[in-house]
Amino acid sequence: MKSLQIAATGMAAQQLRVDVISNNIANMSTAAYRPRVAEFSDLMYQQYLTPGTITSQVGTVVPAGIQIGTGVRPSTVSMQITQGSMKETGSDLDLGIDGAGFLEVTLPSGESAYTRDGKLNRSAEGEMVTMDGYPLADGITIPADAKSISISRDGEVVAYFDDQAAGQAIGSIQLVRFVNEKGLEAMGDNLFRETAASGTPTQVVAGTEGSGFIRQGYLEESGVDVVKEISDLIEAQRGYELNSKVITASDEMLAATTRLR
Amino acid sequence: MSNAIYATLARQHGLMQEMQVVSNNLANSSTTGYKTDKVIFAEYLVNSGPGELSLSMGGLAGHSFEMEQGGLNVTGGQFDLAVQGDGFFSVDTPQGTRLTRAGHFQLSPEGTLIDSIGNNVLGAGGGPINIPPEARQVSISGDGTISVDGEQLEQIGIVTADGTLMRDSNTYFSAPGGFRNATDFSVVQGALEQSNVSPVLEVARMIEVQRAYEAGQTLLEREDQRIGQLISTVRER
Repeated sequence: MKSLQIAATGMAAQQLRVDVISNNIANMSTAAYRPRVAEFSDLMYQQYLTPGTITSQVGTVVPAGIQIGTGVRPSTVSMQITQGSMKETGSDLDLGIDGAGFLEVTLPSGESAYTRDGKLNRSAEGEMVTMDGYPLADGITIPADAKSISISRDGEVVAYFDDQAAGQAIGSIQLVRFVNEKGLEAMGDNLFRETAASGTPTQVVAGTEGSGFIRQGYLEESGVDVVKEISDLIEAQRGYELNSKVITASDEMLAATTRLR
Repeated sequence: MSNAIYATLARQHGLMQEMQVVSNNLANSSTTGYKTDKVIFAEYLVNSGPGELSLSMGGLAGHSFEMEQGGLNVTGGQFDLAVQGDGFFSVDTPQGTRLTRAGHFQLSPEGTLIDSIGNNVLGAGGGPINIPPEARQVSISGDGTISVDGEQLEQIGIVTADGTLMRDSNTYFSAPGGFRNATDFSVVQGALEQSNVSPVLEVARMIEVQRAYEAGQTLLEREDQRIGQLISTVRER
């Protein structure tokens, strides 16, 4: 009785969908979080009678044949490339990326990681670091006596001091672009890693070559649309129930069979 | 054994297969671009032997897809595409060109438009579609024309099958009879076509199959009792 296994693949698929949705809802306040969507595809078909099989000497053929499906499998859980809304924070080390692109971060291992979460801090040495203390790859150090810093839309960082009117350029923040952002590997902590599917990172000046602008004093909010997630959740739950009904019905058919001696 | 039992067994076997089709439909109720499967039962005659009457049985003879348009789920994704009307996206797989309604596409590291398992999506000319890496805004119009930052690039290939379609896994269809460019369609960017499985109809069908199966089993039981009775009556004489 294959319908039991087929329904089980359906239940597993809906379960995965609920897992993905719950992670999205849990991250509804995570800065620059991009919602994930589970996509499914059907499994292989068993050929009982191939369409096109010749059925007579005059060459008539079976028009549709019999192909019976064997269930469903998850095909991808992909990141939706959305722009979260910008929240004004007023902090001069909060950066929101308005458009495509990532900030490059150097991990303690020396490896590069990429993030859109622009909530930055100053380390003890004055370096610009993420909330986890990983420095930006641009290696910008803010002088200890700087009164304020300003970051332009294209990433130029200028420090201002008490004793001089003109600012002093201390570096620039570049954005990193990938051909296929959906191919990036999520590492947690709002960080992503380059993979063979994402393509190699390209460093660009913010606002050029299709990348977005850097907005100082803003943070990108989570891209999760809670209403959509909840309606998806309802759909997934009902889908799960439907598949469990198939299991019950198949079970009763089997029971009817075993009642025969 | 009596003919009634044979005829019922053939029916029961067909119902089991129909149950599989129903459960496959319900399992794929969230599969993008999935088309509902339907079964066709047909009578076939079995010769019982020379001079005997032939026996009529019912069996699964074929199936068809419900090609009705699935609902559009607006995702906003740049490369999430749906076809409205008659037509399929064409995809280049190692087994040959396959047709699909699941327009969940993305870019390869080289900037080529690929589907969710990495096969190239074909343009109207039959070649892969390359999107320049510096593209800021990719828009795809109703007739499938791709333009990048206001400049026309290429047209996405939408085709219809000439002969019958065969199902393949991964929501692909193959067209053994060939295919040609479609004319009556529109491409929607930022949306995916949902599965067109109607849960209500499928559940109703499932109940019908289950009850028909039980009715068949009851018939088999009665037939068994009848033969048992016949044997005991004959023995008593």
